[in-house]
Amino acid sequence: MIEMQSRNIKNEINEKIHDEILRSNLANFAQQYPLARAKAYANVDSIDELRDELKNMKQYAVNHIEQLADEFESSLEKRGAKVLRAKDGNELKEQLLKICRENNVHNIVKSKSMATEEIKLNDYLQEKGLHIKETDLGEWMLSVAGQHPSHMVMPAIHLNRNQCAHFFSDELKEDIPEDIPYMVQTARRVLRKEFLQADMGISGANFGIAENGAIGLVTNEGNARIVTTIPPIHVIIIGYEKLIPKISDASKIMRLLPRNGTGQRMVSYLTMIDGPTPVIREKDGKMVEENKKLYAILLDNGRLQAAHDPVMKEVYQCVRCASCLNVCPIWSTVGGNVYGHIYSGGIGAILTGLLNGMDEFAQFSDLCIGCRKCTTVCPGEINIPDLIQELRNRRVTQKGLSTPEKIIFQRIMTNRKIFHSLLRAAALGQKPVKSGKFIRNLPLFFAKMTDGRSLPTIASTPFRDRAETLLQQGPKQAKMRIAFFSGCNLDFVFPETGESVVKVLHDVGAEVVYPQQQTCCGKPIIGAGDLATARKLAKQNIEALETAEADYIIVACPTCGETLEKSYQELLADDVVWFKRAQNIAAKIREFSSFIDEMYKKENRMAVVHGSQKITYHDSCHMKRGLGIYKQPRELLNAAGNYDFVEMTNADECCGMAGSFGMKYADLSVQLMDKKLDGIEATGAQTVAVACPSCMIQIGGGLDKKAPQIKVKHIADILAENIVNND
Amino acid sequence: MKKISHAWQKYLQQGFINKKYWQDFRENAQAASVELQEIKEYKDAIPIIEKIIAETGAQQLGAVGEDDNKNLLMVYTALQKQHKLYTDKFAIVKNAPQLDIGFSTAEFGVGETGSVCVDNYAYEARLISMLPPINIVFMDKNNIVNTMTDAFAVLEDVFTEGYTGFVTGPSRTSDIERVLTLGVHGPSRFILFAVENAG
Ligand code: SF4
Ligand code: SF4
Repeated sequence: MIEMQSRNIKNEINEKIHDEILRSNLANFAQQYPLARAKAYANVDSIDELRDELKNMKQYAVNHIEQLADEFESSLEKRGAKVLRAKDGNELKEQLLKICRENNVHNIVKSKSMATEEIKLNDYLQEKGLHIKETDLGEWMLSVAGQHPSHMVMPAIHLNRNQCAHFFSDELKEDIPEDIPYMVQTARRVLRKEFLQADMGISGANFGIAENGAIGLVTNEGNARIVTTIPPIHVIIIGYEKLIPKISDASKIMRLLPRNGTGQRMVSYLTMIDGPTPVIREKDGKMVEENKKLYAILLDNGRLQAAHDPVMKEVYQCVRCASCLNVCPIWSTVGGNVYGHIYSGGIGAILTGLLNGMDEFAQFSDLCIGCRKCTTVCPGEINIPDLIQELRNRRVTQKGLSTPEKIIFQRIMTNRKIFHSLLRAAALGQKPVKSGKFIRNLPLFFAKMTDGRSLPTIASTPFRDRAETLLQQGPKQAKMRIAFFSGCNLDFVFPETGESVVKVLHDVGAEVVYPQQQTCCGKPIIGAGDLATARKLAKQNIEALETAEADYIIVACPTCGETLEKSYQELLADDVVWFKRAQNIAAKIREFSSFIDEMYKKENRMAVVHGSQKITYHDSCHMKRGLGIYKQPRELLNAAGNYDFVEMTNADECCGMAGSFGMKYADLSVQLMDKKLDGIEATGAQTVAVACPSCMIQIGGGLDKKAPQIKVKHIADILAENIVNND
Repeated sequence: MKKISHAWQKYLQQGFINKKYWQDFRENAQAASVELQEIKEYKDAIPIIEKIIAETGAQQLGAVGEDDNKNLLMVYTALQKQHKLYTDKFAIVKNAPQLDIGFSTAEFGVGETGSVCVDNYAYEARLISMLPPINIVFMDKNNIVNTMTDAFAVLEDVFTEGYTGFVTGPSRTSDIERVLTLGVHGPSRFILFAVENAG
């Protein structure tokens, strides 16, 4: 078990936000990466087909992991290698030290291996008096600087040339200019010496092939080739997750890993080593050729348990390409060092939880805002945010909630009357609770926002109190009966938008009902991992919606939509009766803009117009990647009377709100929002349309402070305006 | 020289290689900073190599792959007239740290990526291709497979033990400010002679 210092992640994040070097490195990279990746894939017919193949192969591997390990071991032993298995870092260290002692090893060169960083092998070997050198340039610089890698593929992306030159100078005790080619040549010269005098080479493995015992090493520098060539002893340290059945399966990794990782069609060197290979050395003044000693140590350290975990075994689909970091809005803003000590980003949180323990995971588990960007690029098709959620849930089951969370979730949120009277009290300015912690666990609008955003206010008359009169204005001859599920935001913060929704629905010939017993969909509670409470809310809402006997249930908040449509069935999966009820409700759920798009198309109301006002559109994460809806809102805007629709860059990048995150990490959230605001301003639009009330709070709050001339509007409001105009 | 297979050609000819993949190979190899030289005969390489030696002032050369390739032997022998070129494995190893150019061979190329597959079971072949700042490689121009999937299908038949892999251009790093720099641990120049009449 790795010792864990107590960390203050918030302070660390603030430091990163103000680290100009880091910020500009990450910003440049975030801009270049998607283009490089697309270019690398330009000669591939279907990326998704390749991803499916990789996923299927890796799923087979994890389902047969013991068998593959046995096969890998016997393949290697047959060829003359020695294979060991280590249940954890300590065992591995002892095994390795024994090998070093038996073979009189003093100098070791190492090519990149995350498994060894995970168990802090270098520190240990140094303590034992061995001389060990990292040979990957980035890793070497970091080891010299006493820093940890901030990215799995580009370990030193947080540094600039001045800092690097400084580390070089310190280590080599000579003045090294801030000249990149010079530094690279210096590293070549210095490390070449290390290669030539090394007694042992330690490498990781990008894959290990069971059928012939070969390992594959992926590098651009070529250091892994030298590490596995010159020293007379080679030790492979390989995690179980790297095992694959057949030689040809390696191509399934190799067609994706370089393209996704570095935007290359192929890395400079893919090296494959199968069994002991010859080495020629001078011995007693004579040149002799003999076989190397080859050892392989299979590292468990939590991996086998993960392999047998029906949910978490998905991590075996990871090939460590780090593209999930490259597209992650959080990683792109704060870099990798605020996560675990080796694995960063969303997948890093998961791996840290599985391999280094849940206590460490808990420290940065909420640095995932569930935007699902990573799931669109991951070569192994891993549902990273879902796995993070699963670990959070387990943590809550294990450790329970904090006291304020407990009170809020279990006493307030499950009692609709108390919850709603609290909200009404808040509207009157009677701030019920002041503690930041307390507020953070309530739905968004309780938030105390930071400097960069304006406070959302709670409406004096919530939608639920306006419903009765409003709903009577429906069509005389209704074509259908619709139940409106408002969700907290449209009920208490944007009741006017709720009214717009009803108006638009009336206009397409629907009778609308509003079941008064409906309450918070439960998403914030699911997010915090309190599934028992979430289940109670799910049942309340299902009951309320059933009484409406509607043809459709309309939501104008994609988060509520996702929760009602997907999460309720998952929550109630163990209860046959309730599951069925959840399923029936889910079948009726329609997201507002896609529903109206369909209706308008039927009514031929979708001609493209170019009005006088420019309007742009922001994709909510839950809307685009959760529900898969992104075309329809654009079609509606293109047809909206007064407006001329223009795209913004990175329209589908998260605005930074994402539930309690937006409050807990307020400064970081504002950073994400600012990027979004820049994109909006650049379009020259006077209005930004959204289809999600949470985004409306975040973007609206930001615009109010930074660009008050631009308005944020829910798409329902825009469509409703149009109806007035048509009258 | 020790190789993982002495019958690569036999496996490649099972429907994997085709001249039509050459264009793809050329494009991708050049994009990966491979210095490509298309020649008809092995002997056409000699003047080009002489020029490289003259330009770089290379003094010591090492070469592998001539033992089962008469044409290559002829090239090396021609070079040996003017230059210090080691072909004996022990001599290569002894002088490896000082070599300026290493000559080696590749079995086939991959159209999709511009990579070449190298059979590096022999220790001297690995040193030759990694330690000197320039690596000059000879390959049969007709031996190009379509994709990495095909490349591994070939390896499925061939690779039962030893040391092999794919090389795609020179050694490179982007670890400092993501600025691409060639030649960190391995060669900074990767020159590939694709020989049309290799057979
Ligand atoms: S879901 Fe979004 S925030 Fe979470 S890890 Fe993936 S990209 Fe990052
Ligand atoms: S989770 Fe997916 S995207 Fe992230 S490193 Fe692993 S394979 Fe790559």
